Amino acid sequence: MSFIPGIGLVRGMGLTLRRFFQPKATIMWPEQHADVAPKFRGRLQLLYDEYGTLKCETCFQCAQACPIECIDMGGVDTKGRFHVHWGAPETYGERREESALRRSGRPVADKAYAPFEGIDIEPLDGILEAHDYDPREMLAILEETQAEYGYLPVAALKHISRVTGAWYAQIYGTASYYRHLRFEPPAVEAPAAGTAQIAAEASFRSALDASLGYGGGAN
Amino acid sequence: MSSISRSLSHVTLAGRILIPLLFLLIVVAPILTVALAVVVGPWLVSVLSSNLGIIRFVVAITGVLLFSIPAAFIIIYMELKVIAYMNLRVGPNRVGPGGAAHSLVAGLKVLSKEDFSPANADRLVFTWAPVLVFLTAVMTFLVIPFGPGLVGQDLNIGLLYLFAVGGMAVVGLLLAGWSSFNKYSLLGGLRAAAQMVSYEIPLTLSVVGLILLAGTMSLHGIAEQQGGWFGNWFVFRQPLGALIFFIAATAEANRTPFDLTEADSEIVAGFATEYSGMRFGFLFFAEYVNVFIVSALMVTLFFGAWNSPLDINMAMLFLNDELGWNLQPIVVNLDPGGLGIGLLLLILIVPVALTVVFALPFYLTRSKLKAWQALLLGFALFNVVAVGAAFTLAFIGWDWVAGIIWFFIKSFAFVFVFVWMRGTFPRVRIDHLMGFAWKWLLPAALLNLFLTATAIVVVDALKAG
Repeated sequence: MSFIPGIGLVRGMGLTLRRFFQPKATIMWPEQHADVAPKFRGRLQLLYDEYGTLKCETCFQCAQACPIECIDMGGVDTKGRFHVHWGAPETYGERREESALRRSGRPVADKAYAPFEGIDIEPLDGILEAHDYDPREMLAILEETQAEYGYLPVAALKHISRVTGAWYAQIYGTASYYRHLRFEPPAVEAPAAGTAQIAAEASFRSALDASLGYGGGAN
Repeated sequence: MSSISRSLSHVTLAGRILIPLLFLLIVVAPILTVALAVVVGPWLVSVLSSNLGIIRFVVAITGVLLFSIPAAFIIIYMELKVIAYMNLRVGPNRVGPGGAAHSLVAGLKVLSKEDFSPANADRLVFTWAPVLVFLTAVMTFLVIPFGPGLVGQDLNIGLLYLFAVGGMAVVGLLLAGWSSFNKYSLLGGLRAAAQMVSYEIPLTLSVVGLILLAGTMSLHGIAEQQGGWFGNWFVFRQPLGALIFFIAATAEANRTPFDLTEADSEIVAGFATEYSGMRFGFLFFAEYVNVFIVSALMVTLFFGAWNSPLDINMAMLFLNDELGWNLQPIVVNLDPGGLGIGLLLLILIVPVALTVVFALPFYLTRSKLKAWQALLLGFALFNVVAVGAAFTLAFIGWDWVAGIIWFFIKSFAFVFVFVWMRGTFPRVRIDHLMGFAWKWLLPAALLNLFLTATAIVVVDALKAG
């Protein structure tokens, strides 16, 4: 058929004429509404009440009903007692990322709010006394503090700030400007094999020999 | 300050002009009318009757101008609806019954829009170019016969006039493109001009064969020659000519698949880029008037104009002659005046009687229906029946009524075909468009002319010999 010139035009016209008489696909909204499948879940959305509070009560019904288990959620239980979480185990690295944690409502570790460790401030008080609590000698104070403690602990900086009257931010700025001042203890090096370790090895060996039936001390 | 001038000072400027004019209209117009009727009346009547040709022309022009507006509205609505149906959509259905007033509202929208003209545009030309385009479209109505004797001006060079006036549209498009002060509009205008000039040649040549056959260029004359039965239609004697005419006319009316001048989905309306408001409306209107004109021309030239496909009376005569039957032709003599005083009684009694008669079955079968509701229903039904009967009688009794009805049925069938094509075909490329006109349509039109001329010579020689 295709060799007749213009047959394509005629067939196209025929198609559109057939369409002309076919039932129409338009849904006469708002008079009519589309037929919605029972499986249809719509768009997932968390709602807020009139006070701006999240309406979600962390009941996990949505996560239970989710047919493809895509819902990963967490929060605080309704009594406000403990943290709850629903979701697949954290298989992927990105799930442990801070943004992923925040999104799913899980607690995010923040060093700024971690309590700092206490120190013995007797030697620090001695250093400060020697410098007459003068904030203008801050660099010397900091250097001596580091010589005493091995690094600059947060507690020491807070104490210096309190007694000298200098702002913590200024002290931190001074300390972070100089390369030789550090806020972390230096990396611990493996200690060389000492006498205590040799003694432990000897006792272990003798016990082994005894259990195997060798003569005391003999090879 | 008098109370009149005080209240007038509250009115806006337009109102200050309008209110005195209204006063003039109410007071002066009746006086003038009476004076005209008494003093100038007889003289006016004598002048008018001695210049009947001019009066007829003016009336025809006015009628044609008025007719073009509803025609365009109907075609716009048809286009929206038909293409929607072909796309399995419903189309406009909110304004008016079935969305019928949609195009009317679109027209009002166009009227209410800002009429913007770009900086540095040639204002005069920019304003008058759409008018020229619209005018050429409307002027072609003048020679189209809507029914036997119903032609604005029966020119003996009607066809020539058609092509001449139709050619003026090119000037309008060029002016529109040029005066917009926009290089893309200018290109669009040139593009449109190139297309229309190219397709005018096969368009004109395709009807030369028909002119040879008909022996006249008057559209009324051509229409008269296609009477009787549908075998007399020129499409059966000029099939190639009809095909070429149809294709070229599609291009002339800027319809899909040749709507490159507008190409609303590709180039921004070509020459009409800078147009807005009613000036754009004119261009838009002209396009749809053109669709009707092309359909009407197709019907007039090739599909029997106002003639019915089968004239029953002529068919009866034919059967009487051939088979010896004795069929009586249907003749309705509408002579209401012959009834005398009975006519008056009829006019008074028949509507009431028929209303009651139509209302009775509703009232008797539906117990919930109140009497006035039944009467209303009966009256509506009576109107439907009366209008139907009137149309039927007029259709049988008066040739021109039947002619108009047939003409419009056929014309709108072709309008439907144009819309149908728009719903089906993709747009052609510009080089294909031009190549098709010059390499295929023009040779085919020449071939058609040559074949027709040869056939006429041969037939004449056979008749003589």
